[in-house]
Amino acid sequence: MCKVGIYLVCDYPDRNSFLEAVKQCDGFGVDFLEIGIPFSDPTADGDTIERAALEVLEREGMDDFYDALKSAREIFNRKLYVMTYANVVYSNGIENFAKRFSFIDGVILADVPFRESKRFKDIFKKYGIGFVYFVTPETDFETLERIKASANDFIYFVSIRGTTGGEFCLDGDAINRLELLKESEQDVIIGFGIKTRNDVRKACKYADGVVIGTEAVKSLASDKLGEFLKSVID
Amino acid sequence: MKGYYGEYGGQFVAETLIGALDELEEAFKRFKKDRYARKELNDLFKNYAGRPTPLYYAKNLSDYLGCEVYLKREDLLHSGAHKLNNTLGQAILTKFMDKKRIIAETGAGQHGVATATAAALLGIECVVYMGKVDAKRQRPNLLRMRLLGADVRIVEKGSMTLKSAINEALRDWVRNVQNTHYILGSVVGPYPFPEIVAYFQSVIGKEAKRQILSQAKRLPDCVVACVGGGSNAIGIFKGFLKDDVELIGVEAGGESLELGRHSATLTEGKPGILHGALSYLLQDEFGQVAKVHSISAGLDYPGVGPEHSYLKDTGRVKYGVCFDNEALEGFKVLSRLEGIIPALESAHAVGYVVKSRDYFKGKTVVINISGRGDKDLGIIEALEGNGV
Repeated sequence: MCKVGIYLVCDYPDRNSFLEAVKQCDGFGVDFLEIGIPFSDPTADGDTIERAALEVLEREGMDDFYDALKSAREIFNRKLYVMTYANVVYSNGIENFAKRFSFIDGVILADVPFRESKRFKDIFKKYGIGFVYFVTPETDFETLERIKASANDFIYFVSIRGTTGGEFCLDGDAINRLELLKESEQDVIIGFGIKTRNDVRKACKYADGVVIGTEAVKSLASDKLGEFLKSVID
Repeated sequence: MKGYYGEYGGQFVAETLIGALDELEEAFKRFKKDRYARKELNDLFKNYAGRPTPLYYAKNLSDYLGCEVYLKREDLLHSGAHKLNNTLGQAILTKFMDKKRIIAETGAGQHGVATATAAALLGIECVVYMGKVDAKRQRPNLLRMRLLGADVRIVEKGSMTLKSAINEALRDWVRNVQNTHYILGSVVGPYPFPEIVAYFQSVIGKEAKRQILSQAKRLPDCVVACVGGGSNAIGIFKGFLKDDVELIGVEAGGESLELGRHSATLTEGKPGILHGALSYLLQDEFGQVAKVHSISAGLDYPGVGPEHSYLKDTGRVKYGVCFDNEALEGFKVLSRLEGIIPALESAHAVGYVVKSRDYFKGKTVVINISGRGDKDLGIIEALEGNGV
């Protein structure tokens, strides 16, 4: 059993295509969706996702993203996550954000590492929203154990050193840590750089699933998301 | 809490960078305990960079304004600005960590030049990210960096100014963190950068205090410095924080205080998270970082160092604004009266004192001239033609 999650940039390339993509993901049995709320300075993202996010930001704001996510929630029947950056959540009060988006299952903040996560996680928990921790091939073992013990949603394993859309690989440091995470109660999901069914198979030898972002965003932009989903989902 | 100044600071970066920040903190601790490393830096300060820089009593300007003005001459530091204090220090840290490659961002180009200078001196590979807008308006520094052997990469995304350059440098760092040290140029970014940069820049304040006590036989009433990210200001303020001296940071008011037309982060912003730290930030109502403007590339930035946010909230430092036209006035006044052409950044500190001359009347004031203005002649020419 290997879960496949898909990342989409909210309202990219436009509202209709975005919601159509959510529908396709639902139809193809995608296990969870991560919807990126665009941020002006997405330092964890590579070119593809950055360009998509900035394009959407040119014409839309937070109220549009809220509407889009509400609609996505109605369409998609499995887990729905928001992925964004700290300031989008922080600027108007973490609690206000959590209250407004209490219909999502979890939140992923690209620039909030484990040691800065408490103030976010505690508030989201009150609203039934999970908080996703990252583990990288360089996470020290003490932190890794603490993450394993306190995770309340899946653990996001960043397989590569780099931004989204790099080349997928698992080195010794990565595999070591993935072995240690095997007994975790929460799913371990590998992300960053996964493009093909082969990548998915390889990743799932060590983890419970994968998330695919850049390739999904690219294929959606060229109107080929359906084909792409068919190619990666068994 | 570690890494915080009051409620500001922290390490809001991708988990991938946490190891590198810990490693840097460790190296910085070792450096501070290492007598030989400190001596190496002090020798470079003295014999290579030209420290101590003078504190100059500006008689003509004093007569003009009706107060006693002393100028801390960081413009005379090698490579033309205070930035070298930090890059020499961090270059030594790079060697400590055994990293083979240095990256940096630059706005006005002074930090890029200072990084390229330190990298050339220590024989380390150097990549500098610079926004396209800045590369154009600060072209002399682009050429200097290339002469010094740096690989300057022009950023054509986002605002194409300092903010975009930092975004790209952070992305580079995430990809190459195992062999690369990122020399951040201001007291911004994730901890321990604000602490490290302030430490290396505090030499300005230490000298200025010793010099004013020796020359004026007293402490100044006020110390004035411009604030973009805030490194020259923190550097000079550090010497006077515990004294009964009024400290004034001057932000870029740009064209007006309408959001998008200035860079007065502490004056107009509210707390937010950008580039690794929680600090005052110019942003829209939903947390998107606002567009900013300043005539000076080095101040054209929507964020500010977290220690400044803390010093603002505690009231220890007062922050004011100087608009583009007032900075130009300061630029000209200092050039004509003292024969010193300041960087447009530093001209904001001068312009603030000039416009507030009534407030400063009769007082003893130290202004930090953080850099020299050769790089800005193109901007002046474009504004006013050749008749300057």
